Amino acid sequence: MTQTFAMLVDAYRELNSRKLFWVSLGLSVLVVLAFGALGVSETGFSILWWDFRHRFINTNLLPPEFFYKFLFFSFGIKFWLAWLASILALISTAGIIPDFVSGGSVELSLSKPIGRLRLFLTKYATGLLFATLQVAVFSLAAFILIGVRGKSWEPGLFLAVPIVVCFFSYLYALCALVGLVTRSTIAALLTTLLFWFLLFAVNVTDGLFVQQRERAVLQRESLVGRIERAERGTGAQLEKTERDRLLAAGETPPEADPSAPRPAAELDAANPILAMYRTRLVEAEKDSKTWAYWARVIMIAKTVLPKTAETVQLLERRLISGEEMDRFVRAVDDRPSRIGEDDDVPIDNREVQRRAVAALKTRPIWWVLGTSLAFEALVLGIASWIFCRRDF
Amino acid sequence: MNGSATAGEWAVDLTDVAKTYRGGVEALRGVSVRVRRGEVFGLLGPNGAGKSTLVKILMTVIRPTRATGTFLGLPVGHKPTLARVGYLPEHHRFPDYLTGRQVIDFYGALAGTPRRERKARASELLDTVGMTAWADKRVKGYSKGMRQRVGIAQALVNDPELVVLDEPTDGVDPVGRRDIRAIMTRMRDAGKTVLVNSHLLSELEMVSDRVSIMVQGKVAAEGTIDDLTLDKKQYELELVEEHAERARSHLLAALDGAGRLPDVNERPAGSGILHATLRSGEAVELHARTLRVRTTDAAVMQPMIDALRSRGATVASLRLIRPSLEDLFMAAVTDPTTGAAFAPGAAMKRKEPRP
Repeated sequence: MTQTFAMLVDAYRELNSRKLFWVSLGLSVLVVLAFGALGVSETGFSILWWDFRHRFINTNLLPPEFFYKFLFFSFGIKFWLAWLASILALISTAGIIPDFVSGGSVELSLSKPIGRLRLFLTKYATGLLFATLQVAVFSLAAFILIGVRGKSWEPGLFLAVPIVVCFFSYLYALCALVGLVTRSTIAALLTTLLFWFLLFAVNVTDGLFVQQRERAVLQRESLVGRIERAERGTGAQLEKTERDRLLAAGETPPEADPSAPRPAAELDAANPILAMYRTRLVEAEKDSKTWAYWARVIMIAKTVLPKTAETVQLLERRLISGEEMDRFVRAVDDRPSRIGEDDDVPIDNREVQRRAVAALKTRPIWWVLGTSLAFEALVLGIASWIFCRRDF
Repeated sequence: MNGSATAGEWAVDLTDVAKTYRGGVEALRGVSVRVRRGEVFGLLGPNGAGKSTLVKILMTVIRPTRATGTFLGLPVGHKPTLARVGYLPEHHRFPDYLTGRQVIDFYGALAGTPRRERKARASELLDTVGMTAWADKRVKGYSKGMRQRVGIAQALVNDPELVVLDEPTDGVDPVGRRDIRAIMTRMRDAGKTVLVNSHLLSELEMVSDRVSIMVQGKVAAEGTIDDLTLDKKQYELELVEEHAERARSHLLAALDGAGRLPDVNERPAGSGILHATLRSGEAVELHARTLRVRTTDAAVMQPMIDALRSRGATVASLRLIRPSLEDLFMAAVTDPTTGAAFAPGAAMKRKEPRP
């Protein structure tokens, strides 16, 4: 215990000596103060003492607590903590392991009565201390701000601490491994940033593929509906024409039999658009299968990789309910949503988005966290094995 | 080596320690070393001899390829034993953001020393190494000698039974060296063991009870300086003679008077030193005005003195001398077949011929 406590105190001293730590903390406080400068009223929003009238941003459409929670998550967490502050944290902490294992330094620690595994993992944990302190300070400031300004005391905000630290730990595990192997801060930092970019690209591709898959499914459903309606309409039209012809000829038309639909060829001949719909349906089904295949491929790739964005999204799931978000989306965008308006089969873009978001949200928390932590455990396991076996 | 000590008296008792690095570099090739409790033990050797590797194996910084033996009575590699050991590595680097006092406190905590004890010992040790005035300044402002002093202090913070010092006087001024020697002596007097690895032979000679000389991953010699020099003591006779040629002629005559063997065994060295052998078996070295006879028997010298007096030569001195640690070291690192020093560095593992 004495040893672990000493290492944590040392980690704090190390962070304390890094100017970037204080710069980053100062910026966090500034971001929270910027939130504090924003206000929302019945007619619009305010920045400091200036009021602005706004059609969507007002308390009639957005409750104050939602407004602040939304700001906290969308800008404070997603933009500041999960991007800019994390980059600053990586820059600050990338050197911890390379400095630790450099010649002349590591011998002193290894010669103490502490197991190598414990030594390495404690050192790794001290790297996470940076992120922990940053998020804790930010969350506390945001908690007070939302409580005071939004009149909503939301303890769920503190969930940002484990979630953002968890997200940072995926990246820091790789940073520690590369730093240990190469003993180079620059190599560790660049590799980690490159890896993060790869994760970002995979995540964007995943979102795109899921959206395309949902679009193809919606298009297929739309076409099936249209074909059914067109078949019914064309069938009824043919029925009426036949009936009129028989009546005009003085014959009694037979009773219509709904269980005996007309052959497709007859309907298509009577209504050329039906043939076009059928062709489009075949294409849509093919598209649907193709996008489903690629969405599965990217899903498999994501399963073995850490899910940084989805981990951060867990906070949104907890803080902002689907109902609140839908209300917000409807409030800020009440225009009719269509894509392919020049197309023969228009698709509701908002519905595509809604389905894609819903599909992404159905991914279970155990999958998001479990597979990401498994990746981290694997990387840390390799790093620990190297550290325990290496001659220094 | 004094083999009379019992097993419990050995602070370090290693047998057949070997370390082969990846790439076939054989840093240690079956080293056996014993360090008695309560003594100052010097580890000597040229660069690449394997001294630091041996020390790092003891301190679990390097894993041996093969090692048997004990370290403070427990198997080498037993981590809890290290709580009873202090260590100052060569070229150590302390975190720049710590002060001298924090360095001592931090490494004391890692050694498991309780906080109160650390606090008390830190002040005491800072005073001992003369760093009280700088105790609360950051290490990054320290000179090399100051870092070395703090390094010594951190090695002692856990009140170790054994302290391992790798080049402790590196970068330290003469006053600091004297202080460090005094610390080592005080530790020995307090019953502690000091294992010191240094290139400064004169420093070691002043404090070491026993030494081990390592060459190319093996122990070339081990024992007390007296033990090691016992069969290397010799008489040195010096003339007062301005002309070198005349002096040489006197000395050759003196050798003839003592019964020099014919030229068969004589071999002039590159520096003009003549090596010869007497009929009674003693080896002789003839320098410009000096004669060295490998014997401790004064009677062997009498015929030479008689011969010199009969020629009217003036003898400046005749004394029984003991070789210095440097002489021992040089003898150990010199290839007896070629007379040249061994190449520096570790040995390379020979590749087995393919069947």
